[in-house]
Amino acid sequence: MRTRSGLKATFGALAAIFWKAIKHYTRYPGGFVIYLIMPFLFSILIFGMGQFVGGGNAASNFAVRTGTTNFVVYEILGSAVWMTSWVVVEDVGVALRDEQMKGTLEQNFLAPISRFTLLVGMSLADVVITSVIFLVVVGATMAVVLPSGFLNIFQAFLTLLIGLVPMFGIGFLFAGFVIKFKEPYVFTQLINLIFATLTGTYYPVTFLPYWVQFMSGVLPQTYVIEDMRRIVLADQTLVSLYGSVFILLTLALAYPVIGYAIFRQLERRASVTGEFSKY
Amino acid sequence: MFVEFKASFVKDLRSYVRYPAWVVGEFISTPLWFFFFAIGVTLFAPATASSSRAGGLAFFFFGFVFIILFSTSVWGVGQSIRNEQTAGTLEQFFLAPVNRATLIVGRWARVFLTDAVIITYTTLLLYLLGDGLVTLLHPVSFLLSLGLYEIALIGFGLFIAALTMRIKSYNTLSNLVFFGFMILTGALFPVTVIPMPFRYLSLVIPFTYFNDLMRHAALGSPTIFPGTPEFVVAVLLSISMLLVGFFTFNEIEKEARFRGSIGTS
Repeated sequence: MRTRSGLKATFGALAAIFWKAIKHYTRYPGGFVIYLIMPFLFSILIFGMGQFVGGGNAASNFAVRTGTTNFVVYEILGSAVWMTSWVVVEDVGVALRDEQMKGTLEQNFLAPISRFTLLVGMSLADVVITSVIFLVVVGATMAVVLPSGFLNIFQAFLTLLIGLVPMFGIGFLFAGFVIKFKEPYVFTQLINLIFATLTGTYYPVTFLPYWVQFMSGVLPQTYVIEDMRRIVLADQTLVSLYGSVFILLTLALAYPVIGYAIFRQLERRASVTGEFSKY
Repeated sequence: MFVEFKASFVKDLRSYVRYPAWVVGEFISTPLWFFFFAIGVTLFAPATASSSRAGGLAFFFFGFVFIILFSTSVWGVGQSIRNEQTAGTLEQFFLAPVNRATLIVGRWARVFLTDAVIITYTTLLLYLLGDGLVTLLHPVSFLLSLGLYEIALIGFGLFIAALTMRIKSYNTLSNLVFFGFMILTGALFPVTVIPMPFRYLSLVIPFTYFNDLMRHAALGSPTIFPGTPEFVVAVLLSISMLLVGFFTFNEIEKEARFRGSIGTS
């Protein structure tokens, strides 16, 4: 007889959801390749535009404003973190909508596992996907542009892992909205763009107006990007950045709790109004 | 023919306004993309020369107009076949006694209309911000170049739509084409910034010239080749792209009918 409760059953369910998501990625590798290419394409665009505006002094103008002449690593770090949050928002937020469209959402929700296990299982696959994206994109860039600082990538990666937890919380929140509002694609596109703008993907957030900086301050990606730049480009350590690491850890606690609470609320309402299968 | 076109246009307009979230999303995201890139680029600009920065931003603005219209071709027009395919209505459409290309052209007209509204709205927004962001030196030349570009876009949209009958992983293809062309056609920076071996690629992409001519008409920026010959080449390219688009679409559709792959998603 199969175990239906307890830790073993939960791990079994997590493993099943995890492998399902990984299989989906390997079956459609094109989407994954895009995630690997996009950070470079966006950085090239910004750099090309910057070269046009700044001419021969583009690099020195950049250094005056950011404190580093290494604009390639600076932009790539921002791009890579943006892509990881893009993956989380797209996957965790839109996955339930995909199940809804395929007519398999009810089957998933009827399975004898908690919703939290379902959401965490989807997130686990994203830990692997985002890690690969980050390590390939940033690793390749560092190996070519800044080989002397290559080892710093591990501390930067640790920052990403801490930052992923609150991002998953944001993903849970979207999953709830998607069940309720059914229009994930425009929503996720807009959210991804807003995240990129607010979190300083290609510039320090201090360039934004004060009231916008306040919004940046509640997004985990802002701290992840800033910390990574300090670790990789200014040779600081995670220990010396304890202030922002503490904020990240706080967000890592707050977002999943808030996100899951809102998801459960919206999901309960949908179960009363019979909205699961509607599309 | 006109009745078919009108029906296709109205059908597309109805499905567009049925999802108000899309409409609102487009209106917010279009100017936001511009500001997002503009802030990033400001890091490279000289600290004092505001005129050169404004000139650069005006240059980007026309690049954004070019990109908005181009994305229409790739995701709007090109994806129309794919949308019908996934909705399971492509066979019904192809069984109707209408020209197949009408679907595409009808969709193009709807998307062009909404693009025009979004561009006007963004232009107004930037105009209100001032600092010389919006400039149009030769409106007639600009409209002529825009017309050539639109004709080429219909052809390109038909070509991409035809490909979606063959290639099912459309999003990967469209993303690569879109971002690749954004860099290579000099949409956001002059092609002279592109290093030499890659610049040859830019010069063989027809869209580079439509972009160049539109910007020349709007801002008076120098053209890649002398003005008149480049314009003549752009006319020929525009007509050729339309013809190639129609031809490819018809041929791939014939093949898909033969293989029974029209409705497979």
